[in-house]
Amino acid sequence: MSAQAIHPAGYLCLVLHCHLPYVRHPEHDRFLEENWLYEAISDTYIPLLRVMNGLVRDGVDFRLTTTLSPPLISMLRDPLLISRYERHINRLIELAAKEVHRTAYQPEYHRLATMYLERFLQTRNAFTNEYGRDLVGAFGRLQEMGKLEIITCGATHGFLPLLNVVPGAVRAQLRTAVAHYEETFGRPPHGIWLPECGYFPGLDEVLRDVGIQFFFTESHGLLYADQRPRYGVHAPVFCPTGVAAFARDLDSSKQVWSAEEGYPGDPAYRDYYRDIGWDLDYEYIKPYIQPDGKRGSTGIKYCRISGKTDQKQVYDRDWAMQRAADHAGNFMFNRERQVEWLRPTMDRPPIVVAPYDAELFGHWWFEGPEWIDFLFRKLHFDQQTVKPITPAEYLERHEINQVCTPCGSSWGHKGYHEVWLNGGNDWIYRHLHMAARRMEELAHRFSNADGLTQRALTQAGRELLLAQSSDWAFIMKTGTMVEYAVKRTKDHIARFTRIYEQLLAGRVDAGWLKDIEEKDNIFPSLDPRNFS
Amino acid sequence: MSSDIPDHYGRTELVLMVMDPLHLFAYWEVTPESLREAQDALGAEMDGAGAVVRFYDISLIHFDGTNAHHTFDIDIGLEARGWYVPVWTADKSYCADLGFVARTGRFHAIARSNVIHTPRAGVSGNTDERWMRVKFVRRRKPDRARPLEFVPAPALPRQLSPEELRALQDRLAKEKALADARFAGGGLPSSQERSPR
Repeated sequence: MSAQAIHPAGYLCLVLHCHLPYVRHPEHDRFLEENWLYEAISDTYIPLLRVMNGLVRDGVDFRLTTTLSPPLISMLRDPLLISRYERHINRLIELAAKEVHRTAYQPEYHRLATMYLERFLQTRNAFTNEYGRDLVGAFGRLQEMGKLEIITCGATHGFLPLLNVVPGAVRAQLRTAVAHYEETFGRPPHGIWLPECGYFPGLDEVLRDVGIQFFFTESHGLLYADQRPRYGVHAPVFCPTGVAAFARDLDSSKQVWSAEEGYPGDPAYRDYYRDIGWDLDYEYIKPYIQPDGKRGSTGIKYCRISGKTDQKQVYDRDWAMQRAADHAGNFMFNRERQVEWLRPTMDRPPIVVAPYDAELFGHWWFEGPEWIDFLFRKLHFDQQTVKPITPAEYLERHEINQVCTPCGSSWGHKGYHEVWLNGGNDWIYRHLHMAARRMEELAHRFSNADGLTQRALTQAGRELLLAQSSDWAFIMKTGTMVEYAVKRTKDHIARFTRIYEQLLAGRVDAGWLKDIEEKDNIFPSLDPRNFS
Repeated sequence: MSSDIPDHYGRTELVLMVMDPLHLFAYWEVTPESLREAQDALGAEMDGAGAVVRFYDISLIHFDGTNAHHTFDIDIGLEARGWYVPVWTADKSYCADLGFVARTGRFHAIARSNVIHTPRAGVSGNTDERWMRVKFVRRRKPDRARPLEFVPAPALPRQLSPEELRALQDRLAKEKALADARFAGGGLPSSQERSPR
């Protein structure tokens, strides 16, 4: 092995944030928002697992860092949602088979219908047989192989800078997340993806207290730190608590994210929005669209991105794969030049941190998982300048880092808190803060509770955590599915408030409690002491 | 249908939140008892008195109620229950009082807020460097009380050539410009702009 292979000029830390809010409605047979999970399983999580296992099989040395948020882990392990996912994929297989038949005399569509049918059959086989209906376990095995670093997140993805009006709320989000990770993977997490990349000075003290050793910030979280970081975003810093902060690299983010200049907007790629659920005969497509009969996406899409026109061109899989390989090569080329340029100005190899929402890959950008596959293969076989790395490995190799306190920041629009605090969602905070204070009060007052009281106390904690998901404020801001986000916030606050009042009055309604325990069943072993 | 949530909690309070370096959000609740107390305290002066949130810039001081760097009042309607407040400078600490200002100028507070700190909106002027060695620990939690060892700043590998120095400065300037453009509402795209989940 050459000296260069041992000492690359720099590192690439690819981070995928896998998170979905906890959506589970046993009271409905089919529930539209549960599709977020089913689509992400088929489009993103299974394709990513298949890519990673393929790399392992072919001896490609790679490193990937992924969040698995506690709500996502909980949903992926929930028996009801697992069986409903199987129903979902079976329905898709049925539709794809009909499409193969329907398109028999339209060769270019027929090819694609056949591709979808094969793909869905493979997905089902992977889910049921290869991974034994346990995707979390499949991720965990890749972590044990040393290829994947799984990091945690807030317990329910609460936006910590705004919850911090009641500091106990931040502690509870983090304690619960860490305990849940330990329960899942049998060891504590090394690092965390702060929900929405939301950091505020002082948060690192809580991270240290729960045993977290690194987190990520948005670029200006580091660039605007209290003491200017010598290496900008290209080396981590230690907070005064010794917890390390890595910051997002600007160039690599832009290449992938940007809707206009980014790779996913290439005309060779599949168009996300044009779906047969909108186009085909209503009676034919009805069983496969929304539960209430409204038209919606099915997952079968035949068009490629064709610009602002209704005359969409038919998707060409081979061309798309060629472009994914080109784009992976371009990304690698840019990282090579970037680290070569940075290296002489630093006393250590720079690290380029490239974090993305995982659901971009596969769900929004259909070819995203293949792009990752090409990228890791090219990095392994074609060059020795950039090596993939995890934050843990970087910190093991580079124990000495600059000390500063990052600046409060997030990765939302404009970089601070506006997405989660604006005229469309600010009403939630008086309730979230009051409920958090009341939960602290309950946790102290009933610290020795048992039986029904203990169950009510624990359920109050679940309702509070579920209300705190940043997803609800985010949806209220973006304006789609707002009703659902408002309903979820109100339902959890109302349930919390009712338990609070019942506990103080010493009259817990056991029948009702059992009902909401079954509905809001996240964190079965939640410890109410997390709130004190 | 959504569940009913409390309209109020029966507790007078004022809470400050940070929206960004130059915007705060304040929300409040005022109980009828607090209103009556204010009326009693201000007496005849309550006639024509206006509700205000009085902000105190308390950056880097122990605030004793009188020693703020400066204060400013925002006239509010109590029934609004929440208000966005622009401020002039980033990287400051604030707290506030909710109360009434009589026409005589007398102020009667009914609630004091939490303390908040607004984030920086640009690169720090502080170029002092501190460096630390921290040992990473695998598969277990590090000792919470582990000693943190400060070490001398590492030297650069060698003297930079003028070109390299310029490249370094260009890079820093470019990063700064991108980050600054971000807060102005343009620049770097982020996940939030693309995905209606």
